[in-house]
Amino acid sequence: MSIETAELQVSAQQALRGLGIAATEEKSWPMVVELGWLLVSVPEELDGLGQGLQAACALYRELGASVVGAPYLPAMLAVEAVCRSDHPARAEWIGRLAGADFATASLFGPDGPTARTLSGKLRLAGVASAVASADKAAHMLVATADASLVLLVPRQNGIEIVSRPTWDETRRLFDVHFADVEIADEWILARGPAANALVRTLATHRDFALAADSVGGASALLELTVEYLKTRRQFARPLAMFQALKHRCADLKALTEAAEALLAENLESAKHCSDAEAEVLGKQAKSFACSAYFRVAEEALQLHGGIGMTSEHVCHRFLKRALLNAQLGRQNASYDLDIAVGILDGA
Amino acid sequence: MNDTDTLRTEVRTWLKKNVPSGWRAAMTGVDQDKFVLAQRAWFSKLVAAGYATPHWPEGWPGGGRSLAEQKVIFEEIARADAPRLILVFISLYHAACTLFEWGTPEQRDTYLPSILKGEIWCQGFSEPNAGSDLASLRTRAELRGDRYVVNGQKIWSTMAQYADRCLLLTRTAKDGPPQAGVTYLLLDMRSKGVTVRPISQITGDDEFCEIFLDDVEIPVENRVGKENEGWAVAQSTLASERGLTLVELSQRMRYALPLLAQAMRNNGRIEDATLRTQLGALASKVNAVCALADRYLLRRISGEERPGDASIVKLYYAQTLREFVSLGLSIGGLQGQYHAGFMRGSPQETGNWTVDFMNSYNWSIAGGSNEVQRNIIAERMLGMPREPKTWQVASER
Repeated sequence: MSIETAELQVSAQQALRGLGIAATEEKSWPMVVELGWLLVSVPEELDGLGQGLQAACALYRELGASVVGAPYLPAMLAVEAVCRSDHPARAEWIGRLAGADFATASLFGPDGPTARTLSGKLRLAGVASAVASADKAAHMLVATADASLVLLVPRQNGIEIVSRPTWDETRRLFDVHFADVEIADEWILARGPAANALVRTLATHRDFALAADSVGGASALLELTVEYLKTRRQFARPLAMFQALKHRCADLKALTEAAEALLAENLESAKHCSDAEAEVLGKQAKSFACSAYFRVAEEALQLHGGIGMTSEHVCHRFLKRALLNAQLGRQNASYDLDIAVGILDGA
Repeated sequence: MNDTDTLRTEVRTWLKKNVPSGWRAAMTGVDQDKFVLAQRAWFSKLVAAGYATPHWPEGWPGGGRSLAEQKVIFEEIARADAPRLILVFISLYHAACTLFEWGTPEQRDTYLPSILKGEIWCQGFSEPNAGSDLASLRTRAELRGDRYVVNGQKIWSTMAQYADRCLLLTRTAKDGPPQAGVTYLLLDMRSKGVTVRPISQITGDDEFCEIFLDDVEIPVENRVGKENEGWAVAQSTLASERGLTLVELSQRMRYALPLLAQAMRNNGRIEDATLRTQLGALASKVNAVCALADRYLLRRISGEERPGDASIVKLYYAQTLREFVSLGLSIGGLQGQYHAGFMRGSPQETGNWTVDFMNSYNWSIAGGSNEVQRNIIAERMLGMPREPKTWQVASER
C-alpha cells in the first residue's frame, strides 16, 4: 500500500469513527462528498486525486468496517464510467458527479435493459435491477444487455423507479423499469465493443469494491466479537478463555487475514496486467472475501448468543450486509465457475 | 532491473539446466534408499551453485543473502518444480541456524562444513509423552565428569535412520517450571547405546523413527548453550525456517492446480459443474495462501512481524492443503482408491490422491498442530486469555 493510500485510510477511519456504526445514508453521504472521496481514483488530468483503485478500496474497506449507508460504490461506478469514456464533456460531468449531482448504478449483473435504435435514436426497454438509492439520483449509469453504456436522467416519462427493500438496510435497492425510453445522444458514454470493455472494467471495480467492503466488515465484526467474548463471563470466567471458542476465533482470524492478503495482492497484480486478467483477479477477491465475510458473520452471531439476535445489537447489520454482498455482482458460485475456466484451459 | 530481478534470471536459468528431467517419474514407486541417493545428488548440485544455503550468514558458502533474495530463490525452485530438499532439511535449517545463533566457534567449524558435504541431521525433540506439550520431556541427561549420560526415548524423528547427528533435548533438572531444566545436546548417532527404529506410517512408508537412548555418552563440548537453558535454544531451532518453506510450498500448490484439472479430464468429469465450482473456489484459496505467505515474509523483511503471524500462515496452509487433496479425492473417485506407487521428494500434491491426503496430515500435526497454532493466534494475536493451568477431575471435587 502506498503512503498516500495508507494516510487516506487513517483519515477515513478517523472521519468514520465520528459517525459511529451503521450511519444512515442521510448522515454519511454529505461527508463522503465533502471529503472528496469521489475524486480519489479520478486521474489528475481530470482534476482528481489519481490514486487509483487501491485507494478507492481502502475507502470501501473502511465504509464496510463501519457498515455505512452512503451509496459510495454506485456513485464511484458512474464517475469511473465517465472517466474511462471518451465523452467530450468528461471533465464537466465529473465535476458535477463528484459534487452536488448524485449518480447511481446497478450493483448487479451484467444483465440490464435492452436497447434498439429507432430513427437514429437509442431507446431502452426492460429493467435494471439492484440500483442503489435510485430515488435520490440525478443521474443513472445503465449498461444495456446489448452493448451500450449510458448515463441518463432517471426522472422522466417512461422510467419507473420501484423500491425493493432488502433485509440489509444499509443499502437501499430499486428496480428501474424502462418503457421504450428515448436516450439523448449526449448521454451515451460508449457503444459496441468499447461499451463491452468498459462494462467489464466497471464490473472488476465493483468486484474489488465488494471484496474490500467484505474484508472491512469481517475484520471489524471479528474484533467486536472477540471483545465481547473477553467481557462476557459465564462459569466464573470470561468466555474468551474457553478453547472451543478461541479456536473458532483463530480460524476466523486466519480466514479474514487470508481475504485481506488476497485482496491486497490481487489489487497490486491488477495494476500490471491485462483487463481480462484483472477481471479474474477481481472475481477471486470478491468470491473469497464475500464467503469469508459470510462465515465470520454467521459465527459472530452464534458467538454472541442471544444478544446477537436482538435488533439493538449491531451483529445483524454486519450479517445482513454480508448476505447481500454475497449476491451482488453475481453469486459466488458463478464467479468460481469463471475462475475455474482459466485453470481448466491451461491444463 | 533491480538486484533481485538479476538473481531471479540467474536462478531460473540455472534451474532450467540443472533440475533432473523426469525426476517425478524416477522417484515414483522407488524404495527409500534410491530416493536418498537422488536427494544427495541434487543437494550437492545446489551447494555447488550456492543456492542451498542462502539463509546462512555472510562468509559461509552460499550465505549472506537478504530475505528478499532468499524469497526469490525459493519462488524459483517452486516455479521450476525442482525436487524438495527433504533429507537435509533439518541439517540446513534447524541445525545450522541453531549453531549460528548459539553454537561456539568450535562447534560451527566442526559441524557446518560437514553439513555442506551432505551430513544428515535429525531432530530429537518429541517424546511419546511430550508432543504439543514439549516442555514435559523426560529424556534424562546426567553430567558425569566431562560427559553427559543420556537415557530416554525420542519419537517422530524424520529420516533418523539415515542421520549422522541429532539435535537432542534432554532434562537435566526437575525443579521449577518444566522449561527451566532442559539442556540442548548434539548427539552423534553412531554412539553406543543409540537404537533407531523406523515407524511404519499409514502410507506404508517409514519416513520417521523412534530413537532409544540407553546410557548414551555425549561429551560436554557438544552442549549448545548453558546447562538447563536449552529451552531458549530450542526456540531458535523451531523458528529457523520461519516462513520461507511456506512461501515455497504455497507457490508449489498454485503450480499444482492444473493437476486437478488434468484429473478431471482423465476421469471424464471435465464438464462436472460441481467440481468446476469447487476448483474455482479452491484456486482463490490457494492464491490467498500464497498472498499470506508472501506478505508475512514482507512483514519480516520490514520488521513489522506481529505475534501469531507465522501461525496464521501455517494454519491456513494446512487447511487449504487438506481441501486441495480432498478435492483430488472427489475427482479421483474409485480410481483414486486403487493402490499405486507413490512419489518421493515431491511437493504435497502428486496426483496420487489417497497418499496426498494421508500426507497432508504432516502439515496439520507436525511443527505445531493446527490446535497449537489456533491457541497461539487466539492468545498472542487476539489477546484471549489462557486457560487456567491447574485442573481437577470433576469426581474429585
